Amino acid sequence: MSNGKIVQVIGAVIDVEFDRELVPQVFDALKVVETGLTLEVQQQLGDGVVRTIALGSSEGLSRGLEVVDTGQPIAIPVGEETLGRIMDVLGTAIDEKGEINARIKQPIHRPAPTYEDQKGGNELLETGVKVIDLMCPFARGGKVGLFGGAGVGKTVTMLELIRNIAVEHSGLSVFAGVGERTREGNSFYYEMLEAGVLDKISLVFGQMNEPPGNRLRVALSGVTLAEQFRDEGRDVLLFIDNIYRYTLAGVEVSALLGRMPSAVGYQPNLAEDMGILQERITTTKTGSITSVQAIYVPADDLTDPSPATTFAHLDSTVTLNRAITDLGIYPAVDPLDSTSRQLDANIVGQEHYSVARNAQEVLQRYQELRDIIAILGMDELTEEDKALVYRARKLQQFFSQPMFVAEQFTGREGQYVSREDTVRSVKAILDGDVDDLPEQAFSMVGDIDSAREKAETMQVEA
Amino acid sequence: MTVGREIKKKIGSVENTKKVTSAMQMVAASKMRRTQDRMHEARPYSNAIRAVIGHLANSSPEYRHQFMTEREVKRIGFIVVSTDKGQCGGLNTNMFRELLRELKSWEDQGIRADLALIGNKAASFFRSVGGNVVAAINGVGETPEVKSLVGSLKIMLDSFSDETIDRLDVVSNEFISSMQQKPQIRQLLPLVHSEDPDTTHQWDYIYEPEARDLIDGLVQRHIESQVYQAVVENTACEQAARMIAMKNATDNAESMIEELALLYNNARQAAITQEIAEIVGGAAAL
Repeated sequence: MSNGKIVQVIGAVIDVEFDRELVPQVFDALKVVETGLTLEVQQQLGDGVVRTIALGSSEGLSRGLEVVDTGQPIAIPVGEETLGRIMDVLGTAIDEKGEINARIKQPIHRPAPTYEDQKGGNELLETGVKVIDLMCPFARGGKVGLFGGAGVGKTVTMLELIRNIAVEHSGLSVFAGVGERTREGNSFYYEMLEAGVLDKISLVFGQMNEPPGNRLRVALSGVTLAEQFRDEGRDVLLFIDNIYRYTLAGVEVSALLGRMPSAVGYQPNLAEDMGILQERITTTKTGSITSVQAIYVPADDLTDPSPATTFAHLDSTVTLNRAITDLGIYPAVDPLDSTSRQLDANIVGQEHYSVARNAQEVLQRYQELRDIIAILGMDELTEEDKALVYRARKLQQFFSQPMFVAEQFTGREGQYVSREDTVRSVKAILDGDVDDLPEQAFSMVGDIDSAREKAETMQVEA
Repeated sequence: MTVGREIKKKIGSVENTKKVTSAMQMVAASKMRRTQDRMHEARPYSNAIRAVIGHLANSSPEYRHQFMTEREVKRIGFIVVSTDKGQCGGLNTNMFRELLRELKSWEDQGIRADLALIGNKAASFFRSVGGNVVAAINGVGETPEVKSLVGSLKIMLDSFSDETIDRLDVVSNEFISSMQQKPQIRQLLPLVHSEDPDTTHQWDYIYEPEARDLIDGLVQRHIESQVYQAVVENTACEQAARMIAMKNATDNAESMIEELALLYNNARQAAITQEIAEIVGGAAAL
């Protein structure tokens, strides 16, 4: 253990000078003696000086303050004791229920599993959300990204997935709140408490109000928690909301660390940052991590470097589209932009596969016809195209679904639709079996039978 | 600027569409005059012959043509007059919708229908919705001739004569004004009684030579003239409807271009701003 002194403070980036022989290693945690603030070493600048980022507010720091090297990376409590608890990036309990007395502590920086330890799997994980189960089915042990611009419903969709999967799923879950609203973290906590599944969930939060250092590292803390459960041989669900804030925190400290901004102002080592985090979220031979990550898309531009870098790491991508929220369809999943590695006839079955591809074709064709309709009007279409357009519009409406977590907004009871029901219903629409029902009957319903019921009640009211 | 290029391409294609539609609008406008003239020219003859037939139907000559006797309807025939080409708004669609409603109401009474189709659009429509098509002609063009209509007409008349069908209706568009056309379904056979007030009393012509030859010929001419009139009128409707439809299309394309231009400018400005921000940021970091 060596002691050093602060020599420079620029926002969240702090330089500390140590004895030349006793320079701390990169990723070692340092502690400011006076305030108890934790620093994490990022670079060794030479001459015994290290550049660190502060995991906490750096106000009140001054040159010359004494800093002690802990000699190891930040370690957080992991394992069963963390279930039902909320901690911050450093593993400190923030739920006012006292310290987390875990038997094991693990450093948040760990190598990713090796090639030989990794294991793939194709067992499907049903979500009960029609459009997701049909177009981009999830795999147990797979990685799912939920892409969307501001205010298209990423968090609500994610909460619905958590409700449907975590509540029905018997295993353990980890929720990492990265740079999102504290209010959402709070309501999530109480929702899980109400659902009676809180004792199966570990939560770690580093929200919007926290300094960039915290937001940069909290995702790693979450992954570390999940890894521990996995290495104990369990199946874990890892929810991260929101990966983009992790990148953003990196941007905030990148220039201060002396890195040249790269495309669109992102850190030059964006791909590496993302890779370090994502590669750790994997399923191994001992246990599985199924992760669902919300990913903010700046300015609705999917080619932006941050979401573009994230794409490559995922098995399923669920893209939320603003044009669909504009139509009032929730969840606003874009059926043409969302894909999954699992959408394969050998995995989901021939029936599901052909129905999904067929639906995409119909929607794609509708998209192409939209310009013609906008200019020349519906009357110029052939009878076949007209029928196709009506079916596509019904399909579009049918992909809306009342959600359990949005009951207070929609006033409708949530609906869980099994994958078989979804495939059967969509097939009925595509085959024209329900051409006689009005379009509105397909909006905010469960399976095709409830659409028929809705059409009947509409008829009675009319 | 990939987004920008895409938008630009789309603007280009919409602009091309606009050129086509505005050209079609102008062509339709000039054709409309001629087709309307033709419709007006055909009217006096068709009105006169209808009046004569009306008198005949009310009169009690020694010979009654078969086409004048009403019988119980067991099967019905329709002559459907449509256009050959599209791009004329809801003209055909509205007419078909009206016809389908009519067909359905007959079907509810257990009466099936035979269809004789004039124009490509009717042919392709009934190919997809189904229906018992006994005759179809297309390509009557903008200057229709009675000659080209006679064939399919004959099939319908023959099946009326041998009592396969017991009623024959003509479905076409009625020209109200350049801005307004209305689908109409008119009974052709058996010949309808005219409701002119001056024909309510009984009177008759003196036939020379034989009433039989004269009336046979007259009825034939009458039916031809009625169908011809419907075709000519439909052609006038077509051009008028096309002019309006293409005007709307041109306007729609115009507003679409405006929207896209706005989008393009936005994307362009965003790209410029971003580039400046990057350069400035990079320079500051050095």
